[in-house]
Amino acid sequence: MREISEPVPKKDHAAKMDGSAVYVADWPHKDMLHGKFIRSPHARARVVEIKLPPLPAGYFAVDKNDVPGINEVHIVMDDTPVYANETVEYIGEPVLMLVGPDEDEVKRLADETQVVYEELPPVLGIRNFDTVFFDYRYDKGDVAAAFAAADQVYEEEFETGYQEQAYLETQGMIARYSDGKVAVHGSMQCPYYIHGAVAKATGLAADKVRIAQDITGGGFGGKEAYPSILACQVAVAAYKAGGRPVRVVFDRREDMEYTSKRHPSLCVYKAAVKDGRVTALDIDILYNAGAYTTLTAVVLQRGVIAASGAYNIPNLKVRGKGVKTNTAPSGAFRGFGGPQTFFAIEMMMIHIAKALGEDSLAFRLRHLARQGDTTSTSGRYHFPVPLPAMIEAVDQASDYRRKRAEYSKAQTGRFRKGIGMSLWFHGAGFTGSGERDHIKAVARLRKRPDGRVEVLASQTDMGQGIKTTLCKIVAKELSLPLERVFYENPDTDRVPDSGPTVASRSLMIVGELLRQCAIQLRERWRDGEEQTVEEHYKEPDFLLPFDLDHFQGDAYPTYSWAVAAAEVQVDSLTGVQEVLGAWGSFDAGTPIDQNILRGQMEGGFLQGLAYASMEQMEADGKGRIRNNSLSDYIIPTAMDVPVMEAQAYVEEYPDGPYGAKGAGELPTVGGAAAYLGAVEQALGGASLGRIPFGAEDALSVLRADAPKEVG
Amino acid sequence: MVNGYAPISLREALELMAAHKLTPYAGGTDLMIEEKREDSFLFLHKIPELKQVSDDGEYIRFGAACTFTELLEHSLTPALLKEALSRIAAPAIRDEGTIGGNIANGSAKADSALIFFVADAQLKLAGAGGERLLPIKDFYLGRKRLDRRPDELLVEVLLPKKWLGSYYYQKIGARKALAISRLSFAGLLTIEDGKIAHCATAFGAVSDVIIRRADIDAMLIGKTPAEGKAAKAAYLAAFNEAIIPIRGRVSAEYRKTVCLNLLGDFLERFGI
Amino acid sequence: MDDAIVFTLNGKQVRYAGSATARLLDVLREDYRLTGVKCGCREGECGACSVILDGRLANSCMVAMGRVDGGTVTTIEGYRETARFKALDEAYASVAAVQCGYCIPGMVLASECILAKNPHPSEAEIRVGISGNLCRCTGYNAIVKAIGIAAKEGEGLW
Repeated sequence: MREISEPVPKKDHAAKMDGSAVYVADWPHKDMLHGKFIRSPHARARVVEIKLPPLPAGYFAVDKNDVPGINEVHIVMDDTPVYANETVEYIGEPVLMLVGPDEDEVKRLADETQVVYEELPPVLGIRNFDTVFFDYRYDKGDVAAAFAAADQVYEEEFETGYQEQAYLETQGMIARYSDGKVAVHGSMQCPYYIHGAVAKATGLAADKVRIAQDITGGGFGGKEAYPSILACQVAVAAYKAGGRPVRVVFDRREDMEYTSKRHPSLCVYKAAVKDGRVTALDIDILYNAGAYTTLTAVVLQRGVIAASGAYNIPNLKVRGKGVKTNTAPSGAFRGFGGPQTFFAIEMMMIHIAKALGEDSLAFRLRHLARQGDTTSTSGRYHFPVPLPAMIEAVDQASDYRRKRAEYSKAQTGRFRKGIGMSLWFHGAGFTGSGERDHIKAVARLRKRPDGRVEVLASQTDMGQGIKTTLCKIVAKELSLPLERVFYENPDTDRVPDSGPTVASRSLMIVGELLRQCAIQLRERWRDGEEQTVEEHYKEPDFLLPFDLDHFQGDAYPTYSWAVAAAEVQVDSLTGVQEVLGAWGSFDAGTPIDQNILRGQMEGGFLQGLAYASMEQMEADGKGRIRNNSLSDYIIPTAMDVPVMEAQAYVEEYPDGPYGAKGAGELPTVGGAAAYLGAVEQALGGASLGRIPFGAEDALSVLRADAPKEVG
Repeated sequence: MVNGYAPISLREALELMAAHKLTPYAGGTDLMIEEKREDSFLFLHKIPELKQVSDDGEYIRFGAACTFTELLEHSLTPALLKEALSRIAAPAIRDEGTIGGNIANGSAKADSALIFFVADAQLKLAGAGGERLLPIKDFYLGRKRLDRRPDELLVEVLLPKKWLGSYYYQKIGARKALAISRLSFAGLLTIEDGKIAHCATAFGAVSDVIIRRADIDAMLIGKTPAEGKAAKAAYLAAFNEAIIPIRGRVSAEYRKTVCLNLLGDFLERFGI
Repeated sequence: MDDAIVFTLNGKQVRYAGSATARLLDVLREDYRLTGVKCGCREGECGACSVILDGRLANSCMVAMGRVDGGTVTTIEGYRETARFKALDEAYASVAAVQCGYCIPGMVLASECILAKNPHPSEAEIRVGISGNLCRCTGYNAIVKAIGIAAKEGEGLW
C-alpha cells in the first residue's frame, strides 16, 4: 500500500460532526425574501393568463418577462427556460415565483394565484415518443455478416426505471443583487456551470456574477445541472428585489417530484452467436429525457458507449435515442447513463449463457476484453483489465461459485435463495475530448507568507472527500503537515475554473494538476513570501482522438473496474426479497485515502443494489410522479443490507495522481444485474429484464409457475 | 399555553375535552405529518392514568398513552404485541408513538391495532357521559371513521390474555425499518386436548378497516387438526370471499394473494 | 391558556410563548437558531431532525411544542459539549463516517441513545438503533463501525 492511502481525519469532519456546518437553509434569513414557485399542474399546456391576487407592499411576482438577459438556462443545449414560456412542458414546471418577506404570506399568495391554462395532449411513456432530442449511432466490424453467419440469434428487451438521488439536503439557493453584481450561493456541484448560466440569464458580464458553494448535503449528480436552473430563477428574482437577498429552499416533495432523476430506459438487444461466442450485438437504446434536454446528450453518450459492457464483441451496431416526454427533465445521477446499459448487457449475457447451457460466469469470462483489445468505439484498452483477478476475489469473499451451484438445485421451501454476479467498468473522466475542448481545467496553489498553502480550484465537496484528498496530495508533494494545506468552499470570485465536480474526474484530473502545482511550488519555494502557481490540463499523448460524430476513438483515457456479487432470498409466499449479502471489488486505482474510498465503495454499492430492488418511482397516466416523499420512495435503511463488503483492487493509472483514477461513480454503476441475477436464480431460473423488481413482481413470476392453491 | 392544554389528570383532560373543541395529541407521529393546524391540541403525556400497565387476571390493561417503546420494555407486554411493536417505523417514532394514537388514528395499517383486533381487545373510552367499554372491532366504523364522540378520549386497551401464547405474525413492508405496512397478518391458534380450542385471524392494511372475521374462524373451532384439514378448503374459500382488498402502494391482487398465502401458511404451521 | 411552555433546552431552562401546535423542529431552528437540527423531510421519515427528548430519541418534526412542556430537549449543540460526544467524534473520524454530513447530527444523537440504553450493543442492535436515520452517502457500514468503536474506546462513559 502506498503511504498516501493511509487514512486521515477528513477536513470537513469536525464542523459536520458537531452541527456547526452551515448549509444553505441554515443561513439566518430574518431579513431575506422568500421565494415560492407557482408550478404547472399539467404535463403540457398553454399558459393563457396569470391572475395574481392583490400583492401587499414588499411582495412581488417574477416570471419570464422579468428575465433581464435571455430566458434560457445554459446547460449543454439551452432549451430549458428560466421561467416557462408560452407553454409548460411538464407537471411542476415553474411559471412564476412569488417573493416576499414573510414565508407564510408568500405561501398564501401562491395558493391564491391563478394561472389559466389551455391543456394540450402530453406525450407520456418512453414508447410513445414523437420527439427525438438526440440520435446517436456507431458501428464496429460487420454486423450484418455476423448475423448472417450466426448459429443462434437472441433478442430481448430491458427496461429500467427512474432513480431519485434522494440526497438528504434538498436543493436551495440564495441570491442577492447589489452594486451591479449578482451573488448566488447554495447547494451545488458545479459553481462555474452556474456562473455561465446566471450570466446568460441576467445578461451580466462574467465579472458581475459570483457563485459560491455552501456546504452541500449530498449531490450524486442531482446537483450537477439542476442548481443552474434554480440559481437562474433565484438570481432573476434577486435582480428584481433590489438589494435584498432572495432565498428558495425546496421542501422534500418539491425536490423529489420536480428535480432531475436517473433516465428511465428501454433497450432492445439482439445478439448473434457463433460456435458458442457472441459475435455481434445490434443494440437499440432509448433514454427518457423528459421535457427538456438538460444533460441527456452526455448521459446518453456514456450509455451507448458502455452498451457492450466489459466484453470484446467484434461486431457492433449501437443506436441510442434521447426522447422527449412531458415529464420533469431527467439528468445526472452517479453512473451517468452507465447503469442502464450495464444492466442490459449483463442480463443479456446471463440469458444467452443460460440458453446455451453454459455457466453464466464462465461464459462472460470467455468474452472479457483484455488489455490491447479494441473498445466498443474502436479505441484501446491501453491498460490491464483486472476483472479476472477481481472475480476471484469476489468469489472468495462471497463463495459465489459454490452457492451458485447449490441454489441451482430445485428449491421448494418458503424461502428460496439465489446469487448473482455482475461485471462492469466506468470510463474515468469526461467522455471523449470534453476535458480538452470544453473544460480546459486550471488549478492553482497559493502559498501564504506564513507558509500555509491554499488550494484554489472549483471542486465541490458534497461529502465525497475531495477537500481532504486534494489537500493530501498537495501536502505530500510539499512535505507539509496536512493542517498547513487548506481548501475553502469554492467561490468563483476567488478560484479558477478547474471544471465541474462530476464524471469521477476531480481526483484524477484536478488532483494531478494540483500535484503538478505542488511540484512547481516546491521547486520555487521561498520562505516568507506569498507565491501562486498554476497548471493547465494537458491531454495524455497516448490517446486515440475521439470523434463524437461517429463515436470512434478513445472515449476515455482509462477505466475503473468492478465486480459484484449479491445473494438474495425470496419469500415465495409474499415475494419479499432480502439481500443476504453483497460483495464487491472495485478498482479505482490508488486510493488517495482508504477510508474515503471505502466510503465511496460502500455508499455507491448500496445505491446500485437499491436501484434494482426497492427504489420505485413512476410517472402516472397524467405525467405526475406520486412517489414524492421519503415514505413513498424507498431508499435503504441501516437494516436493509447488513452484510455488504467492499474491497479495493488497485490497478494504477500512470496519468492520475499516484496512480488514482475515477472512484465516485464506479460502485453504483453495475450492481443491479448481480441483484436481478440472484433473484432469477431464487425464482427457479426465470428470465427477468426489468428493474426495479419488487415483491409484487416476484409474486407474479411465482404465481405464473405454481399451481393455484385456492380455488 | 397557546393553542394547547397539557392536563395532569384524566379528570382535567375530560373536562377540557367537554369544554373545548380539541384534538387529542398522544404521540403526534401521525398528527404532525399534516401542515395545517385547525384545532388546539390536548396533550396527553402528563396524565399518569393513561400511562399505566396492569394485569387483572383476565386482561392486560394498557393505558392509551403508553408509547411503543415503553411497551416493548414492559414485562407484562405479550410476545406477539412486542413483535408487532418492534416492526413499527424506527426507534424515534416508537419512542413517541402510542397505542392509543395508533388505534384512534383510524388507519387499517396500524400495526398495534392489528394485534388488538386478532385478540378481540376491548377499548375503554371516557367522556362527559362517563365510561364505556366496546370491542375494538366496533370502534372502527369505516375508513377513518370511529365510534368516538368529540368529548371522548380513548383511555385504556384491555387485551385478553387467554389465547395469546400460540401465534403467527407477518408484516409486509417495503423495507426492514421505516416501513408502513403494505399488508399485515396475525393469527392465534390453540389446540387443546386434540381439538382446535381457539382460532382467530386478522388482516391489516388490506381494506379500509382491519379484517377480523370471527364467524369464518369459527369454522375450525372445536375440530381436530384432521377435521380442520378437511375444512381448510372451505375456510380459505370463505376468506377468499371475505377479503376485498383496496389498491394502494401495491395492487389489490397482490394483497389478496398474499393474504391467502399467509393464511394457508398459518394453518400449516399448526399442522392443519 | 396564557402560560408559556417551559422546558430544559441543552441544559438551560427556557420559556416558549408561541403556539403549542408549532413544530419543535421549526422552533429550534428559527427561534433558538439551533441549526444543527436539520430538516430532511418534515414527516418523520429521515431522522435528520432527531433530538433527545426526555432521554429518548425523537424526530423533532413530529413533536408539537406542547409536548415538550416540562420536558428536556437536547440537540447536537448541547450534546457536543459532553465527553460522550468526544468519544463518538473520534470514532466517527477514525473511519470517515461523515460524508455529506446532513444526517450526522441526528445520527450522533441516535448513537447516544443506543449506547445510553446498551453500552455494549451488537452490530444488529446498532443497525436497529439507527434504522430511522437515513444516510444516502455511506451505505451505513462506517457509521455502524464508528458506534462500535465508540462503545469500545469510550468504555465507562456510558
